[in-house]
Formats: sequence, C-alpha cells, structure tokens
Amino acid sequence: MADNMNSTSNPEIRTAPGSSLPVSSATKLHPLVEFHFDRSWQDELQSRLSKNGPWDDWTLYKLAVEAHEAEAISSFDEMQCLRSLPELEPMPHQLSTAGKVVHEMGGRAILADEVGLGKTIEAGLILKEYMVRGLVRKALILVPASLVLQWVRELNQKFGIAAVAQKKTHMWHYDVVVASIDTAKRDPHRDLLLGSDFDMLIIDEAHKLKNKKTTNYQFVTELRKKYCLLLTATPVQNNLDELYNLITLLKPGQLGGQSDFAANFVVDKRMPKNEEQLHEALSTVMIRNRRGDGGIHFTKRIVKNIPIELSPEEMALYNGVTAFVKEQYDRSGGDLTSMLSLVTLQREVCSSRDAVFLTLVNLFKKTGEDSPLRPKIWELVDTIKQITSNTKAEKALELIQQMNDKVILFTEYRATQEYLLQFFRSHNLVAVPYRGGMNRGKKDWMMDLFRGRAQVLIATEAGGEGINLQFCHHMINFDLPWNPMRVEQRIGRVHRLGQTEDVKIYNLCTMGTIEEYIVNLLHEKINLFELVIGELDHILERFEKEEQPLEKQIAKMMLESSGNSELKNRLDELGNTIGHLRNPDTDTEVPMAKLKSKAAIGAFLDRVSHEVEVKP
Amino acid sequence: MNQKQIHRFLQQYLEATNCHIIEKSPAHFTVKLSPEADRVLTNRPYYWSFVDRTGAEPETMSFLLVTDKAKYDSLAEGNDEKSGAARLQASPQTAASQIAGQMNNQVNQALARSYGIVPTQVLAMNRIPRDDVHFGSKRLKQLFEAARGQGSYVYLFQEPDTRSRNPFESTPYTPWLGINIKVEFQCDRKREELYSFGISMATGHYVESFQQQLNALKMTPRLPANVHIAPAGISLKKAVQTIESALERKLRAQNYQWAEEAGKRLEEEQEIVRHYYDKLLSYVEEDKRETIQAQYDSRKAEIDWQFRPRVTASVINCGIFHLAGIG
Repeated sequence: MADNMNSTSNPEIRTAPGSSLPVSSATKLHPLVEFHFDRSWQDELQSRLSKNGPWDDWTLYKLAVEAHEAEAISSFDEMQCLRSLPELEPMPHQLSTAGKVVHEMGGRAILADEVGLGKTIEAGLILKEYMVRGLVRKALILVPASLVLQWVRELNQKFGIAAVAQKKTHMWHYDVVVASIDTAKRDPHRDLLLGSDFDMLIIDEAHKLKNKKTTNYQFVTELRKKYCLLLTATPVQNNLDELYNLITLLKPGQLGGQSDFAANFVVDKRMPKNEEQLHEALSTVMIRNRRGDGGIHFTKRIVKNIPIELSPEEMALYNGVTAFVKEQYDRSGGDLTSMLSLVTLQREVCSSRDAVFLTLVNLFKKTGEDSPLRPKIWELVDTIKQITSNTKAEKALELIQQMNDKVILFTEYRATQEYLLQFFRSHNLVAVPYRGGMNRGKKDWMMDLFRGRAQVLIATEAGGEGINLQFCHHMINFDLPWNPMRVEQRIGRVHRLGQTEDVKIYNLCTMGTIEEYIVNLLHEKINLFELVIGELDHILERFEKEEQPLEKQIAKMMLESSGNSELKNRLDELGNTIGHLRNPDTDTEVPMAKLKSKAAIGAFLDRVSHEVEVKP
Repeated sequence: MNQKQIHRFLQQYLEATNCHIIEKSPAHFTVKLSPEADRVLTNRPYYWSFVDRTGAEPETMSFLLVTDKAKYDSLAEGNDEKSGAARLQASPQTAASQIAGQMNNQVNQALARSYGIVPTQVLAMNRIPRDDVHFGSKRLKQLFEAARGQGSYVYLFQEPDTRSRNPFESTPYTPWLGINIKVEFQCDRKREELYSFGISMATGHYVESFQQQLNALKMTPRLPANVHIAPAGISLKKAVQTIESALERKLRAQNYQWAEEAGKRLEEEQEIVRHYYDKLLSYVEEDKRETIQAQYDSRKAEIDWQFRPRVTASVINCGIFHLAGIG
C-alpha cells in the first residue's frame, strides 16, 4: 500500500483513500449465523482526516455513547417498552398477552379478547416493544374508516408512537400509517402497498376478513409482512371455516390444509371435534381473554328519569310545531325523506326555543317569497317570542347545583348548547363547550378546563372522539338522540374501565311530548341504560339486519300516527321486538339447530379463552 | 436511565451546544436554545433556510424542560398558593379595578358568545412550551438522536497535567483509534451489546473498554504545548482490520443457543408452509397455479425474514485520541 502522507494536518496517520475494505463484511460466526460489519464509517473518518475536520465535540461524543447505552436492549426476553411508557398502566392480562405474542408466537397472532378488555392496548404494547427493539420501523395498521383517528390518537398519546392517518398518497411513506382497508386496497394505493415490505401489519375488526373470496382477504394475503396481528372480538360467528380462514391469513398451513382441517376438527361446519387438539393448535396462533365471573366488571349505572312539565307557553309552541309538521307531512303525501328535518323541529321544542328558532329561520330562508309556508313560520316565531324561560334548563341548573360535582351534559343541538352556556354562566356556574367542529387543540383545551375549574362540560357529540372522562360520574341527557348507539356512546364516555364510582345518568324528559315516549322506549323497553357494554352492538346488528335504522322507524311512526295513543302503541310494539332480540333464545322463529350450533361455537370459544379479572 | 441521569444528560447537552440556561432546579431547566441546538431540535427548516438566505438575526426558541414532573409540579403549585395569598391581602385596594374587571368580563362574554372562549390570560403571556422529559419521551429521543448526529467523529488530545510538568521537557503522545460498536443479535427477537475498542496507531496494540478509560481523561481539540506525537506505525486499514478480527473472535466465543432455537423455529415454520402449499399445488387448477406459487414463495421469504438468525455490527462513533505515554 502506498503511503499517502497527508502533510499539513495529521502527519501521524497514514490514510489511504480508495483502498479501504469493502463496505460490509459477511462471515459466519456459527453455522447458522451470518455476521455483517458495517464499514461505511471508515470512508467518512478518512475523508475528515484528510480534510482536517470538521470534528465533533468531545462532550457530545460521550453523550452519544451514553444515549446508546441507555437504549441498548440487554435481553431477548424482558419486556422493554414499559420503561419508555411511564404513564401507561396496562392491566395484567394485557401485559401477559403482549409478552406471549412477542416471546412465544413470533409476533404473529390473533388477538381475540372480548369487547372492552383492551385489544388496542395489547396491539400497542406489541408494536411498541418491537419498535423499541428496532425490529419494526415500518408498520401498517388497517382499521374501519371510523376508527382511524382513534387509533392514531391512542398510538400517539398512550404509546408515543408517531402514527399518522393516511390522507394523501405520499403519506404511505411514513413509518407508521393508519388507514382504512377499503382505501388501501384501491388504486393507486394498492400497488404502492403491495410493493412495500411491512415490518408489522395490524388489522382491527379482522372478522370482516372471514370470507376468503373477498378482495379484502386477497389483498391482505398479498401484503408482504414480517409480524402480523389480527384483532377481533368474534373470531368465529357462524361456522368454523371463518376461524380457519383467519388463521390461514396469518399462518397458512398452521391447521393443515382445508380438507385436513375439516377432517380433523369439524363436524358439519359448526360443531368442533377433537377439541383438545384444536385447542392446542389454536393456542399457538390465538389469544382470547374474557371476563371472569367473579371479578367486578364495571361500576353500576344508576338511571333516573326527571319528568318535566312544560310551561303553557312552551306547550303551545310544541302543539303549534306538531300541527305544522303533521300538516306538511299530509300535504307531501307521505314522502318521508324530506320530512326528517321537520321532525327535528318537534324534538327541538323539547330542548330549547333557541334550537327551534334557528331551524325555523333556516326553513324560512329556504322557502320562496310568496310561499304559503312563510306566514305559518312567522306565526310559530311569534309563539317563540311568548316564551320567557326554559323549564328544562332551570331544572338542569337545579340538579347540577344539588350535585355539586363534575357533570357532563349532552345535547343534540348547537343552539341549545350556546343557550345553556350563557344560562349557566349567568347563574355563576362555570361551564365549557365541546363539539365536533372544534379542532383537536381546542378540544384538548376544553378537556383541561373541565378537568380543572369548570364544573360542567356541555357536549354536542360523543362518538368516536376518544373523550375519556372517568373522573366524572354524573351525566345529564338534556335531550336524547333517537339512535340508541349514540346514547350508548355518550354513556361510554364516563362509564368505562377506570371509572371507580357508580355512574349516575339523568334523563330530562318533558311530559306529554314525543320525548316522553322515546325515554320510555330506550329505558323501559330496550333497557338501554343498563345493558352490558358491547351488548347493544349485537342487538342492533340483529335488528337492523332486517329493518330500517331505528331512528328512521321512529320518525315514520311519529308522522303517520293519528294520535298519541296510536303512537304509543306502535312504539311499544317496536320496543317489544327489540326486547325479544335481547334474548334470542326465547325467539321461536330461529331454528333450533342453528341455535344449538351457535351455542356450541360460543361454548367452544369460552373454553379456549382465559378468564381475567378486570378491576375498574 | 433514571431522572437524575436524564437531568445530567440534558445539562451536558445544553452546555455543550452553548444554550442559555435561564433558570434551573434539580427538576427542570428553562432554556433559550443556541442557534446550533435550535436547528436540530425545533424542526423549523423553513425558518432556518430563511435566516441562512437573508442573513437575518435568528430568534431561537425557549423551552421549559421538566425532568422531574412530580417535584416540579408540587413546587409550581406552592408558588401559586403564595402568590394567591398575596393577592388576597391586596384585595381592599383593588375594588376599583374589580369593577373594571367586570366590565372587561362582559366584553369577554360577548366575544365568547361569537367566538367561543377567549383565552385572555394565556394570550397575554409569551408562552414557553413545556416538555416533560422522561425516558421514552419524544424530546429525549430527539436529544439522543441529536447527540448521535453531533458526536460522531472526533480528533482530540489529552490535556496534560499542568502541575507536574517540566516546561523544558517534551511529553511523548501516542495516537489511538477509538471505536464504539453496537452489535445486534437478531432473529424474530433481538438483543444488543456495546463494545469499545482502542488501538494504538503506533504499535498496533489494542485494548477493550477503551471508552471507560477515556471518560476519566480531560480532552482538548487543540494540540497542547510541549508535546510530541509518536509516528504512526500502522495504517488505518490495518487498525480497523485488527479491531474487526478481535471483535469477531469475541463474538465467535459466545453462546449461540438462541440462534439454534431460532433456526429450529424457522425450519418448523417452513415445514408447515411446505406441507400446506405442496398439497395445494398438487391439485390446483392450472390458471391459479401461478398465484398460489407466488403466495408460497412470498410466505417462505417472510418466514426467513422473520426468523433467520443474524448478527450485525455498526459503529456508533469513532475518533483519533492522542494520549500521553507510549502505548
């Protein structure tokens, strides 16, 4: 080697540019183990030596080593992610699940916990563990569109993982991307994703992939992935093939070929056989936790209906609006869709005059100059002017003052929200608003205010937005949505894991109005407020399979009924139908055989699951 | 890394990058960043390219970095109470200002009706963003990254011990190549080890745990007076080779049971897949054969990617260290 003495800067080091070793070496340390030594640093060192710099700072040099020492993964086995997550307190079953997936299942598993036991937390722990260890950099998380933002938020807030929601094509290049599967499988995204290698793929609500023939299933099969998690609370719903398909997606061949599986484990598609072997085979790919019978599941829900008599002026408005709506409906000849906004009017009367007023003004703007509607609308506005006080708001104020504790109050209407904010403020009650249109920063700020000095949070929305208010256990439904799922979402804000008190729910209910019937339907008939978490999903799923969405049906009944008693009867009937769906066993229409096999599958699932105690 | 270590890490970083520490306690730093640190930490590339192109005087950001959340919060609360008490005592004189306050309140209420709540107090302050720095926090990760980026290559001299020196005598110094190496043992799971080697460029003699030895010494980037440096006896290439083979020898001597287990898992998984696809391919229709074969190949590759045991070494940082003595 020629001595290439660099005269000016460092005469003592002989550098030889161009003659350095290959950039990486590859030798064997053990018959199975290849060893690579990255040599890219040598050229850089050499070039800095020949240029006499630039050189870095000694303290920073030492800090760099310290940083590596702090983050070094000293053991194969110990969970590393928890020391990075001081704020997170996972429950024991979540930790053991994450540990099992990482240490015993090689990072490919179906997480099949019952609803409400925290599958997302388990998946987050596993993802974080792999990321901390440097085994995952690029991850793709496919979830239903409605859950995308929730996932992004949970990963960022609870796990410090910089996940983004995919919005533009270039965003696929981010390290951790959350997207809906329906977007992902479409062009131009599809080719991009199929051309990438994902260190980890997570799929939420994976039971939607139970059918092999769907494009979603094919798409997920084709994605190149190292680790893979499938999340579902219902790995089997109707027949065992669904389970087989899910497992094939994860690890083809794990239960043998389709025919092996059928021969070994299945009697007529629905009944498992050789259960012990199946159980064993499953335990290598699936973990299911379910609530133990002995544990305290959740705190109680205590529901109280507060009947309210409208003042004569308010009642006059209600009657006026009712007559107006009826008249319009009859004239339209039973066209339901255009009537829905009118039905809203009736519901708004039960909430606040402000809400009615706003809708009327909008309606007025929409009608033509010489429309016969205009004078009628003016008439109603005149009636509104007669109203000087809001009976419901006064009752709510009285309630809140008695409680002397944090309260979340829900209303459907923005105008009511504004009115209540002012009304409470004028009575020296500190209240803050919360609504869907606010940006994230403002929402967080409102939450902080509520946690701090505000006694009341007035919210117009509850769904999917991750507001967790376990520190509050009073809830007022100032008015009720007609969609039971939204009522459940409201309750879910406060009545969830981490709530230590019984949750008190107050339904304000104006007598002699549609509201009275709705409260009766949701409370007495569906028994909505006392259902176990997750149960409502199933009931509605069954109900809406055959019928229109509940809120539409209610609207229709309202418009079509000739009088209060007819309306009441029809709503009662509806309530009974739903009540039956709660206990499908008593429903004679379902063939016995189907029921039996469902029960068999349910029992089988129960046997493969681990019971866990969930403390609130 | 505990809170104390993090606190010390932060202090060292801030001092090394010439940041202006406005206020500090064992639980926090309030700091105005230096331009150097601001460029790395605040993620404002547009601002800095603007400064670079226009030559404008840069305005760096300030941060409140809290290293001990519980302690800092309890201290801050204590301060609030004190000032609250002071406010109470002062109340008789402020009746007039209260009336003014009420007027102001009404204005705010009017504004609040149209715009939502008006954050009068918050807007008035020049806000210093707060970061809770704990292990795993984004800020600390970023600081780790910054230290790595800004502490990769050094060229240093040991500071001579001034007391015992004879001004007429020249001290011999030897150049050493120091390297810190991260070794990753990886299959579907992973473990890491750090190694530190130093090799004398004069003699080719090498030592381990070199960094520990260096940490005890004072270093300077300038050549001290009355020092002469031993000429290099070996080339950089030779030095690197020596260290590489030393590392390899050490690694070879390790226990590879983990790799054997991973190899077994790899084999089992491949066997399952082979069994499944061989059977499938034996009776599949011709037009689907290609798809199935592609699935098979990609699944095999995935398993290999997931389980194959391997070891990689990469250099954390390195440098030339001129140390007193002949080594």
